[in-house]
Amino acid sequence: MSIVEDIGAQVRAAAEELPLGLVSQALEKFGLASERLRWVRQESANPMGVPELSAATEHAETAGYALRLAQEQLAAYLAAIGLGVGGEPPARAPRPEPRHDAPREAAPVVVPAEPAEQVRMRRWWSVRVAELTGGPEGADEPDERISDSTELLRRVVRGVRAGDRDRLRTELRRAHADVGLGLAALAPPLLRDLATDLLRHPPRAEDLDRLRGALGGPVRDLLPGLPAPVLETLLTRVCRMPPPRRSGEPPHAADSAVAGGVLTGVLLARLGRDLPPDLGPAAGGTAGAGADRAGGDRPGAGRPGDGSPAARAGRAGTTGPRDSTATAGRPAAPDPARAATGGPPAGVPRPGPWTGAPHRVSRRGGDG
Amino acid sequence: MASVAELKAAIDVALQQIGDGQSAVQAAGEKLAEAQQTLAGALEGSGHETVEAAQASLTQASQELEECLAATLVAVEQAQLYVAAL
Repeated sequence: MSIVEDIGAQVRAAAEELPLGLVSQALEKFGLASERLRWVRQESANPMGVPELSAATEHAETAGYALRLAQEQLAAYLAAIGLGVGGEPPARAPRPEPRHDAPREAAPVVVPAEPAEQVRMRRWWSVRVAELTGGPEGADEPDERISDSTELLRRVVRGVRAGDRDRLRTELRRAHADVGLGLAALAPPLLRDLATDLLRHPPRAEDLDRLRGALGGPVRDLLPGLPAPVLETLLTRVCRMPPPRRSGEPPHAADSAVAGGVLTGVLLARLGRDLPPDLGPAAGGTAGAGADRAGGDRPGAGRPGDGSPAARAGRAGTTGPRDSTATAGRPAAPDPARAATGGPPAGVPRPGPWTGAPHRVSRRGGDG
Repeated sequence: MASVAELKAAIDVALQQIGDGQSAVQAAGEKLAEAQQTLAGALEGSGHETVEAAQASLTQASQELEECLAATLVAVEQAQLYVAAL
C-alpha cells in the first residue's frame, strides 16, 4: 500500500466512523421525551424543560448535518487526490466559473455572453439581495475589497445607520456569496449581546414582543422583501426560544444572513454604537461560516446570578471549548460542568478557522 | 383525569429518554473526538481547502453536541424541579 493509499484509507475509515447513528439515536430519544413532556405540560404554564429540550434537538440536528457535510468534504478530498470511489477524481464538466459566487482566489475567466436566466442563476446572491431590498437587479460585479464577512458587516451597519436602502443594497450585492453568507455566522452572537444591552437583561421569551416591536419596523423598511418568518426566527433565537413552526417554502439561503446583518445594524443604531474595532475577521468561505456560526449562536446568555431559566441555559451553554472561540485563541479554562457531564474529552483538536472567530461585543469574556 | 402519580411517572419516563439521548450524545462526542484526532494526524500539513472545511465541520459538530448536552442538562433540571414541586 502506498503512502497516499494509506492516508486515503485512514481518512475513509474516519469518515465512515463518524457517529451519525448515535446522533440519530439521540434525536429519536429527545423527540420521544419532548413529545411526552409536551403532553404532560399541555395545561401547565411551567415549561418543564421543553424549550431547552427543543434547543438540544436543534443542536443535535445541526451536529448531524455538520457530520454529513464533513463526510462529503472528506469524500471530495479523497476524490481530489485521486482516491475517489472509482479510484479516480470525478471528471469536471467544462463550464464557465461563476464570477460572483466563485472563490475569490479563482483566476478571472473570460466567459461568453450568457442568457439572462443563466446570469440570474450564477449571481443568485446578488439577485436575492435585490429581491430582499426591493431594488432593481443590476449588473454590479463583486468587490474584491470586501474580503471577509466582518468587513461586509461593517459596511452593512453603516448603510443601516444611514437609513440608506440603496447603499445597503449596493454593499450587500457587491459581496461574494460566501462572504455574504458568513453574516449568518457573524450576526447571531452579536445580536444576542446587543439585545441584552438594549433590554438590560438577557433576552427571554417574554421579551420577544418588545424586540419585535422595536426592531421589526426598521428591518422591514430596509428589507421589504424579507419573508416575515425569517425575522421571527432570528428574534426567537435571540430570545432562546424554539424557532416558529415552519410552513410553506423553506427560506432562501441568503435571507437569514442578510437579515442578521441588517438586524445587527438596527440594534447598533438603537444603542447609538458601532461595531467594535477589534471584531475579529470572519472566515469568508463555507467552512469559516460554519465555524463562526457554531462559535456564535448558542443557548443562554444569562448573567451569573440570574436565576432565570434562560440564565441557567446560558450557563450550561457555555461549557467547554466554545468559550475559547470568543477569546481568540486562548485555551479554554477547564469547565467542571463539562467534566461532570462527561462531554467530549478535552484536547480535541480545534482547527485553524476558529482562531478567526469574532470577538463579542459585550463585556462577557465567554461567548455563551 | 390523570393523578399526580401518573404525571410523575410520565415525567420520569421522559427523563429516562433524555438520559438515553444524553448517553448517545456523549458517545457521539467521544467517537467524533477520536475521528478528529485520526484525521488531524493523517492530514497534518494538508492545505487543501476541503480538508480545512471538513475539519471545521467536525469542530462545529463537536460543539453542537456539547451545546446539545448542556441544553439537556437544563431541561432535566427543569423537569426535576417541576416533579419536586408536584
